[in-house]
Amino acid sequence: MKLTLENVRKEYGETVALGRERSGEAVPKQATEGESTATGGVGFEVDEGEFFTLVGPSGCGKTTTLRLVAGFEPPTSGSIRFDDREMRGVPPEERSVGVVFQNYALFPHLSVAENVAYGLRFSDPPGGASRDERVASLLDLVDLPDMAERDPTELSGGQQQRVALARALAPGPDLLLLDEPMSALDARLRERLRMQIKEIQSTLGITTLYVTHDQEEALAVSDRVAVMNDGAVEQVGTPQEIYRHPATRFVAEFVGDNNVFEGEVVSVRGRNDEKRRSSATEAGESPVETKGVRGGTGEDRVGDDRTTEARPTPTATGPASAEAGSASRKIEVAVGGVRVAIETEASLSCGDQIVFCVRPEAMRLLGDAESDEATRSVGKDGPTSEGETNVLDATVSGAEFLGDSTRAYLRWNGRELTVRSIDPPVGDVRVGFAAAAAHVVERVDVR
Amino acid sequence: MGSDASETSNVSDDDRADAGDDESEGASVGGDTATVRAALRDAAATAWTRLSGVRASTRSVGHRVEARALALAAVATTAILLVVFYYPVATVFVDAVFVDGRPTVEPIVSVLSSRFYLVDIFGFTAYQALLSTVASVLLGLPGAWVLARFEFPGRETLRSLTILPFVMPSIMVAIGFVATFGQNGTLNAVLGAVGLPPVELLFTLEAIVIAHAFYNAPLVARVTTAAWESVDASAVETARSLGASPTRAFRDVVLPQLLPAVAIGATLTFVFTFASFPIVLALGGFQLATVEVFIYSRIQNLAYAEAAALAVVETAISIGLTYWYLRYEGRNRGSGQGARPQPRRTLWPETWTAREVGTRAGIAAYGVIVLAVFVGPIASMVLASLTGPGGGLTLEHYLFLLERQQTGASYQVRPLPAIANSLRFGLGTLLVAVPMGVAVAVLTTRDFSGRAAVDALAMAPLAVSGIVVGLGLLRGLVFGTEVFGTRIQVTGALAVVAAHAVGAYPFVTRNVAPLLGNLDPRLVESARSLGATRVRALVDIELPLVAAGVVAGAAFAFAISIGEFDSTVVLAEGSTSYTMPVAVERYLGRRLGPATAMGCLLLAVTSLSFVIIERFGGRYGGRGGF
Repeated sequence: MKLTLENVRKEYGETVALGRERSGEAVPKQATEGESTATGGVGFEVDEGEFFTLVGPSGCGKTTTLRLVAGFEPPTSGSIRFDDREMRGVPPEERSVGVVFQNYALFPHLSVAENVAYGLRFSDPPGGASRDERVASLLDLVDLPDMAERDPTELSGGQQQRVALARALAPGPDLLLLDEPMSALDARLRERLRMQIKEIQSTLGITTLYVTHDQEEALAVSDRVAVMNDGAVEQVGTPQEIYRHPATRFVAEFVGDNNVFEGEVVSVRGRNDEKRRSSATEAGESPVETKGVRGGTGEDRVGDDRTTEARPTPTATGPASAEAGSASRKIEVAVGGVRVAIETEASLSCGDQIVFCVRPEAMRLLGDAESDEATRSVGKDGPTSEGETNVLDATVSGAEFLGDSTRAYLRWNGRELTVRSIDPPVGDVRVGFAAAAAHVVERVDVR
Repeated sequence: MGSDASETSNVSDDDRADAGDDESEGASVGGDTATVRAALRDAAATAWTRLSGVRASTRSVGHRVEARALALAAVATTAILLVVFYYPVATVFVDAVFVDGRPTVEPIVSVLSSRFYLVDIFGFTAYQALLSTVASVLLGLPGAWVLARFEFPGRETLRSLTILPFVMPSIMVAIGFVATFGQNGTLNAVLGAVGLPPVELLFTLEAIVIAHAFYNAPLVARVTTAAWESVDASAVETARSLGASPTRAFRDVVLPQLLPAVAIGATLTFVFTFASFPIVLALGGFQLATVEVFIYSRIQNLAYAEAAALAVVETAISIGLTYWYLRYEGRNRGSGQGARPQPRRTLWPETWTAREVGTRAGIAAYGVIVLAVFVGPIASMVLASLTGPGGGLTLEHYLFLLERQQTGASYQVRPLPAIANSLRFGLGTLLVAVPMGVAVAVLTTRDFSGRAAVDALAMAPLAVSGIVVGLGLLRGLVFGTEVFGTRIQVTGALAVVAAHAVGAYPFVTRNVAPLLGNLDPRLVESARSLGATRVRALVDIELPLVAAGVVAGAAFAFAISIGEFDSTVVLAEGSTSYTMPVAVERYLGRRLGPATAMGCLLLAVTSLSFVIIERFGGRYGGRGGF
């Protein structure tokens, strides 16, 4: 079954739980530009058999979205469709959805088997099986074949979670809704269970909407992810797209560790194509520049049409950008007075304020600031002559040893950087990153 | 599901007939979906899913009825309330604002501007209610302390017993108090035996206050115990670790959590004692006239406008108090879930320090007072029913009942029909009041604007005085009303059951609503996403989980019906609708004996319904609002 949400808003009196203000300062720049968010509602499509995840911080509206899809509450405006059927006014019991809640909500007065069989009181088991057979096969599916006669209260959290899953699947729903089903479990169990859920989901081929605040979990299990913030969808894409090409500053900061920089473009030049650079510069000076870039961005994207759902931004976000070397330009950005060189396909001109990010794993610790041979010639922060690597002198402010690596926090130029290293660094260090490792997230309007 | 087989066969017919029907397709799985799924599941699965989709659409008529069952219950509840509560009460109130067919505020103004009414009647009513509230709190709090903080055999039973006084028929309690505090009562017999002069407590304020404490102190004890048990031991331990002494920790941590409960108990007590009628009339008489008693005497003098004006003012005060109580209770609901309770002390300490001895002596003294107040009246009544005119033990009062049963004339009240009627009405009340109470509980635990107002309107029967309702029933239903030239009267068994149900359902609601409110809403949502309608989810999931509250509420309803006197005596006609309390009142003549014998039968039946509370309500551990 295909699930479609179109411009869905939910308000409780004055409080807007889903959707953004139609006007006013609460709207980030992108929201006013993107077509899908023109009226501030939430919209996305989940394809047949897809594992689709809503991820975002608490209060971002992801659980509200799930509750609207389940029919527990009506949307204030907008349209929710199952295949092509408009669901407004359809009560939850007639939607053929299976729901698993964070606290599982197992019926405490019924045994495990009775819990799983509850939905079969209202519809016949799919596949012509008897109710008992259906219950037994589902308990098998979730690896709890011997627990049928137990009380739910006797089970561990992970077992309860799997019973809740079996119960939701028993009537053969068209859509599975999972509302933070793992967050009450410990980390190791969570990792094991999410693999199990993903496996069951792909075996059954059931369309699944999964809600979580854990971005790592979202990246690990999903076919596609929608990152939500402040009642709106910031970006929809595959986990790889979301991680590698965040469309907004929020996505860049929320998904994974990231170093986000803000600065002014101080020089722009094409890498190896003079003509292209000049045309880009021209475009950059024209008032319709944004549109032109957006069109170019669309061409750059790979054939996956899902990408087009991503909120259009003035940046190039296509996965193909790495190969499309001819399109990328090298620019220099002044970040707090220090010039940093980056490569981007975005059409930018001198004086633009931009936000770009560099993943910690793309940053290299070069050794401490005094002794490193390779960088001594440069002496100061800034682009190096060789390898087009930026070198930053920073001070270690803290480090977390994670086992396989160390996450180090550095002070540089009045801001914090995160880098990965094998062993915890100390004192003054020098970090470098390639210009191509930077990803331009957005251009900030300067008024 | 017994109807499954027939439904399935119907459906297969429909399926064949509607094979190409787009509408039925829409309800089942779409074409594309089915193709994709066929690869993952077998073809039979698809067929079955389609079939169940069609099935769902053919079932939708039944579904629609089921989906509206709650609304229907609410409409029925409203209708019953209108006919046997709001309409009768309105007929009383009309007298306050219409004189000779013209609207006027004169009667109400005259009440509000009269020093006699304001000070002597309302002032005294509030004064006795205040004294009764203080007495109830003073008598109830030590009980809460013992029940919450000490461990001893029979503690749970004792705790359950605290419901009992509340469901005692007032007519029986009045007789018990007369048997205890009357001139020839137990108290004077005990005093005479130890050589003390007799005391005259009957027709004094003290007797009224003690009787009110008998009813309401257990209530205060119950709510306070519940709050005390939900105090988290970790909070106290945290205070102690931060440097607070045990006394200081009690003051800073425990006390603030007890006060709301005490306030709730005290407010309820004030509401009940402000409007109490039979107790005041029986133990105070007309010389200690509260508003209720005064209204009653005005009615006897046929001064309806004056009575109605008084009733309007009284009702306004009562409803105001009830509204405040409901808001307060709502705000304090649902706290203390999952708390680790403080450990209890044993009643028999291992070492007897001076402090321990003092504490135990206090508990023992309290125990004596409890025995005197709670066991005394009941024991006195049983004793009086077994005491002959000469003072010796005798069964003659019971023989009188037997004799009356065999030889009683048709105009006389006979015991067996009274018992049978009481049980019939009790059962009828149960069947009406429980659905009403549950429906109101479900509706008022949802959040919507104006919820507090609906709650207060639904709880009004708790606040409006019995005498006003009784008078309204008499003038509105028994005398009947002209509708299009036909006189419509509502009397007899049906009217009695409806009136009892109206009086009883607030207790069902108050027992069920807090438990429902504490249930995880996701349980219902899970059931609904699995295919259950709202009503099915209520029946399958919620009601089993709040069974304790439903059973307790049902027992309340039954006991209240058994003990109800005011409206029964108004609505009862002939031998088909008099009940045990009516019989007690009829036998109350020159001698106390036969009435006490009948009272003992009443006690037996009331206790039986208590046993049900004890066996079911106590077992599941869940407790309602009272």
